[in-house]
Amino acid sequence: MTGGTIDRDGIKAALARVAAGAGAAADELNAADGQLGDGDLGITVSKGFAEAASADLPEDVGLALLECAKAFQRVSSSSYGTLVATGFMAAAKATKGKTTVQADELTSLVAAARDAMMARGKGSLGDKTVLDSLDAVSKALEDAAAVDMADAALSAARDTLAAFKGKPCKLGRARMFAEKSASLDDPGQLAFLRIVEALAGRGGEGAA
Amino acid sequence: MKKILNRPDSYVDEMLEGFTLAHPEFYAQPERRVIARPGGGTKGKVGIVTGGGSGHLPVFTGYVGPGFLDACAIGDVFASPSAEQMAAAIRHADGGAGVLRLYGNYGGDVMNFDMAGEMVDLENDIRTTTVVLADDVVSAPKEEAEKRRGVAGMIYAFKIAGAAADTMADLDEVTRVAQKAADACRSIGMALTPCIVPQAGKAHFEIGEGEMEMGMGIHGEPGIWRDKLKPADAITDEMIDRILADRAFGKGDRLSVLVNSLGATPLEELYIIYRRVKARFDDIGAEIVMPLVGRYATSMEMTGATITTIALDEELERHLKAPAACAYWRVG
Repeated sequence: MTGGTIDRDGIKAALARVAAGAGAAADELNAADGQLGDGDLGITVSKGFAEAASADLPEDVGLALLECAKAFQRVSSSSYGTLVATGFMAAAKATKGKTTVQADELTSLVAAARDAMMARGKGSLGDKTVLDSLDAVSKALEDAAAVDMADAALSAARDTLAAFKGKPCKLGRARMFAEKSASLDDPGQLAFLRIVEALAGRGGEGAA
Repeated sequence: MKKILNRPDSYVDEMLEGFTLAHPEFYAQPERRVIARPGGGTKGKVGIVTGGGSGHLPVFTGYVGPGFLDACAIGDVFASPSAEQMAAAIRHADGGAGVLRLYGNYGGDVMNFDMAGEMVDLENDIRTTTVVLADDVVSAPKEEAEKRRGVAGMIYAFKIAGAAADTMADLDEVTRVAQKAADACRSIGMALTPCIVPQAGKAHFEIGEGEMEMGMGIHGEPGIWRDKLKPADAITDEMIDRILADRAFGKGDRLSVLVNSLGATPLEELYIIYRRVKARFDDIGAEIVMPLVGRYATSMEMTGATITTIALDEELERHLKAPAACAYWRVG
């Protein structure tokens, strides 16, 4: 991400980092999800990124991101898996036909992913979901210079978790356990933080 | 569980194998879990695809054929196919004029068909449109009609959209006609016994002797309310009353009616129901055109029946009567 441009090889390297990070965080995410849901979020995220990391990616950035979306769909039909696939697909649409993407385009790609995921998941900002994390990251990237992007994304993902401490989830199954969900981190936001940490090469820095 | 099968996990694939072997003139399986016409998409014609879980035959895949659908993606019993299977079905339906996705209103199917549309747009530059069937009147109130689930009414939409596509109309026009057909359908179901999903091995719920489930869908789920079993005319009256409360018919109106078995109910009992349906519309003075009585949209071996009405104007009636053929329904 820091080279100023993103291409197929950059995506492949990033996917390998995220797959490793998601694999390491799988147990933690399953446990977090098990407090409110069916406890398979770690499986969803680790299987999804492992499949994407091992996919054969074309040189066209858009088509490469489409392969990531398909890989996620293939191994994970849960709602989080479908949402991640939707995010990849939105970014794929915006980059089809390009073999390199400028780093400063990342802001609009994250925003496009956020909007598509909101539309598909019928969620709103403030519901205490991964959408809030994406929104915070896309806004943080707007103000960041290319070299600071990783740091900006990382603190935005962390701040989102902190900001929702004590607030209830308003979407999905967690919504039915308002009191309990308020005292817990949203598992989707937590998963997103682990993904950003791995992307930035900062895995293992400790709990949020 | 008593079912005729080899292994629960090969149920769908072995079914599809037999299905294409029995009717090679109508059905080919170019990819796993995708049924298409043996010759593929028709050049210059709008393609029509559907998709959904197994367990409903002849819905969904039975309605692939000339004058009906071009391809279908098939999931496990009562489970959505994947977005990739749906994308494959869209590619096999494409004749270069775009593809209409025409299917029932279920969350998983909607999400996956949306994804599939984005995939073929990105990879193959195929333009797609969507019409979703939401004909079950008791599954949501009229103010939230867009949340209703799609049941047997979809076969009328398959027939009418297929006929519109056969006129070589463009994608927007075929979509308009399909939406009009979907909007004209109203359905309601009832059941006497539940059904068993092969991989589950037992029914979700039981219906007591002397009871019936009203507001039955086509996925083996419980109905909306339970009642004591009544004579056929009383059951039929209640179903027709619910439909009429949602969509009134008047003197001189024309409609078609489908009296459908959910799987195990015999034709004999469907005709006892139809007899009463006909009397009710005779009283109103509305004319039934091309009534359908039989097994058109099922829920495995469930005992029960559904009634669907479709209000017809000249355009819909013309498309309903246009020639079409598949292994389960032949017109002209």
